[in-house]
Amino acid sequence: MARDANTRRRRPRQRVAEGGRRLQPAGSAVVVLLVALLVSVLLNAPGLHKSAAIQPQGWKRDVALAMTGPLEAVSDALLLDQPRAALKAVLGRSDDDEIDTAVAVPKPTPTEPAGNDEPTTPVRREKFSPQRKLRFWVAGDSLVVVPGESLLRAAGGSPVLDPVGPVDGRIASGLERPDVFNWFKHVRKQLREEKPRAIVLMFGGNDDHDFMTGLPEGTEIGAFGSPSWTAEYRRRVGGIMDMVTRAGGYLVWIGLPITRDAEQTSRFDAINAIVHSEAERRPGRVSYLDTYFYFAGDDGGYAQYLTNDAGRLVKMRADDGVHFERPAGDLIAREVLRRLNQRYDLTSWRRS
Amino acid sequence: MLFPTATFAIFFMVVLPLSWLLMSRGERWRPFIVASSYVFYSAWDWRFVFLLAFSTVWNQVFAVAIHKRTEARTRKALLTAAVVGDVALLGYFKYYGFFVTSTHNLFSLVDLNVPLEVRSIVLPVGISFFTFMGISYIVDTYRGDFEPVGFGKFAAYLSFFPHLVAGPIVRPGELLPQFDSPRDPRYVDTSRAFFLIGTGLFMKVVIANYLAGSIVDQVFGAPNQHSSLEVLVGIYAYAVQIYADFFGYTNIAIGLALILGFRFPQNFDSPYAAVSIQDFWRRWHMTLSRWLRDYLYIPLGGNRGSRLFTYRNLMLTMLLGGLWHGAGWTFVAWGAIHGTALVAERWWRERPGLVERPSTPWRRSWHRFATFQVVCFAWIFFRADSFADAWDVIVRLFTAWGEPSPLVTGGVLAAIAVGIGSQYLPSRFPLAIMARFSRLPIPAQAAVLSLALLVTHAMGPEGVAPFIYFQF
Repeated sequence: MARDANTRRRRPRQRVAEGGRRLQPAGSAVVVLLVALLVSVLLNAPGLHKSAAIQPQGWKRDVALAMTGPLEAVSDALLLDQPRAALKAVLGRSDDDEIDTAVAVPKPTPTEPAGNDEPTTPVRREKFSPQRKLRFWVAGDSLVVVPGESLLRAAGGSPVLDPVGPVDGRIASGLERPDVFNWFKHVRKQLREEKPRAIVLMFGGNDDHDFMTGLPEGTEIGAFGSPSWTAEYRRRVGGIMDMVTRAGGYLVWIGLPITRDAEQTSRFDAINAIVHSEAERRPGRVSYLDTYFYFAGDDGGYAQYLTNDAGRLVKMRADDGVHFERPAGDLIAREVLRRLNQRYDLTSWRRS
Repeated sequence: MLFPTATFAIFFMVVLPLSWLLMSRGERWRPFIVASSYVFYSAWDWRFVFLLAFSTVWNQVFAVAIHKRTEARTRKALLTAAVVGDVALLGYFKYYGFFVTSTHNLFSLVDLNVPLEVRSIVLPVGISFFTFMGISYIVDTYRGDFEPVGFGKFAAYLSFFPHLVAGPIVRPGELLPQFDSPRDPRYVDTSRAFFLIGTGLFMKVVIANYLAGSIVDQVFGAPNQHSSLEVLVGIYAYAVQIYADFFGYTNIAIGLALILGFRFPQNFDSPYAAVSIQDFWRRWHMTLSRWLRDYLYIPLGGNRGSRLFTYRNLMLTMLLGGLWHGAGWTFVAWGAIHGTALVAERWWRERPGLVERPSTPWRRSWHRFATFQVVCFAWIFFRADSFADAWDVIVRLFTAWGEPSPLVTGGVLAAIAVGIGSQYLPSRFPLAIMARFSRLPIPAQAAVLSLALLVTHAMGPEGVAPFIYFQF
């Protein structure tokens, strides 16, 4: 009895809030949260491990991988990952937690020497009309989204252009990290399923790092811009170009722009140089669109605002100093369309 | 450091127990919570921590000075200087580019070339929110609503991380008194806190992100590629997306504060169930609406004058409210649409010979429907990058009926239904869920939360997009 009385004295009175819910001690909140987080970490371990793996290289990624790796193993052993797998299957997203680093690109074929802008054999300008539209696909990292939308808008006014879908822009992706998003697999799939004839790509915005995944076995690469890094990146760029051209597509590759950060701009220059030289090796099939000077100010440096053709001062670049605003997208889209018109006959149907 | 991330979960699980351990000693708790909040804020850009610190010092110095002075003229001059400083800071970071381009383009209409320097300025996250809270503190001190508090307490108020980057805009009178006495660790409203955090995460991570990726970005990105039905559903989807995004953020913020022992004001009250635009503004971003009413509309004269005077004040308040949301004319247009609707409603209600009709369910439904359409129409301008883009959306809404609409899927319609339908649920439902949850034993509570986190994480996209209101 005495023990009960003491217990009663120590235990706080229960308080009830609106609707009859009980208020609880702060300690309970900490325990509930901690247990819930730990259990949910086990339940979501495959997803968390993937999130850790696709982070940018650095100590945060290393720590995250060191933590989520064993958790994923425990989750797998205890079958705690099954509910998530079942849920993903119901949603039709079973591939979400897979980390696919395979860089499957075609073997390079002997190509034209670099530095030759003109096609060696004249390319016939294939005709397209409202009855036989030019299917095109726009894809790349987040930088392609705004110019891609401008292109789609322009295509909306043309009866000849037929986009195969929305702009396929994947945030934080690129050719360095197939674990983040495997473009090599995706490009192949899109070419096979959608059969676009014109392909507009923009990559590299997230590729200016020392780290690459999906390296061939036994291959090691040096720092960004080193000969080994350049050779591997060139292989990937060339591989994407070959995939597109062998499928009969014409590729316009949008180059990376000048950015607010001078160091980043110089790294982008290195990527642009690789893309440009690879494009030159495939004349008439790949066109490299240099955007650098579109967005440079009078002093040749980065400019967030520029005067447009109508004399209006417009914001060209987003506040992060890298991405585009709509007027910049329109500018790029105009040039892409000009190149598509050069390569294909998109207007003669009007005269017939 | 976004709320729905592992980094924030670790941060919070460190801060939460320490906060409660230090709670009984205010002199230790305050520096701790300020330091934690500065760590939270520095995750975006450490340099802006100095901006937050400057804003804290600026407002505190002026509040103390205003309080010490008795001469009305001096007090008013100090108030003006403080508010001008706050607005100038906000103006520089948020509106500089907008001002320069607008001025340049205005003069270029008459072939005048005004040499104005354009600079690339990064917008510090949350600046609109903590600036408004700083102004509240200054003005409330000037009005004599309360005495300025100590520096540490004010720093904790302004930087308290649950509200720091996207509100709710908590008034000094609502939060500072809670800092006066330690929160009672025996009675924490945990079930409500978990309910708010859980629903907030679901609305943001699942509903808002799903709608953005499935239809909204595509429709607003290239409207002429979509059918009228897709555009219409895309507009409704955006209405739900922005609600789910901001409501979700606010719910998480209020829930986190509640676990730490503090109560924040409600920020949403089923806005899409509003029966008029005036009613909408009583339910949407309520803390901003109250702020605009008390620090802008009423000082402008409110409705203490002629009808035209009241209409002018309503319009000005909504135009500035629009501009607060973003440095662009489309935001001003969004404010103008709401202002016009508020003026029209007021005129209609006050027109001579008005005969009050009884409110019937049909009438209320019609009013709700009509209000929602006006709100959605205004959202077009809010979401569009330019007037040309907004116009494209509007034109497409009427010119492409009958075309295929692959984006209008069952999932999209279900997400819209959840977003809107949840606002029509009687309040007794969430109360009953919270009450039942609170009576569960601790392991069962943890299990329920774990399952909620499983579903949210599995249904959400890879990575989480920033909250829309961060850019404001």
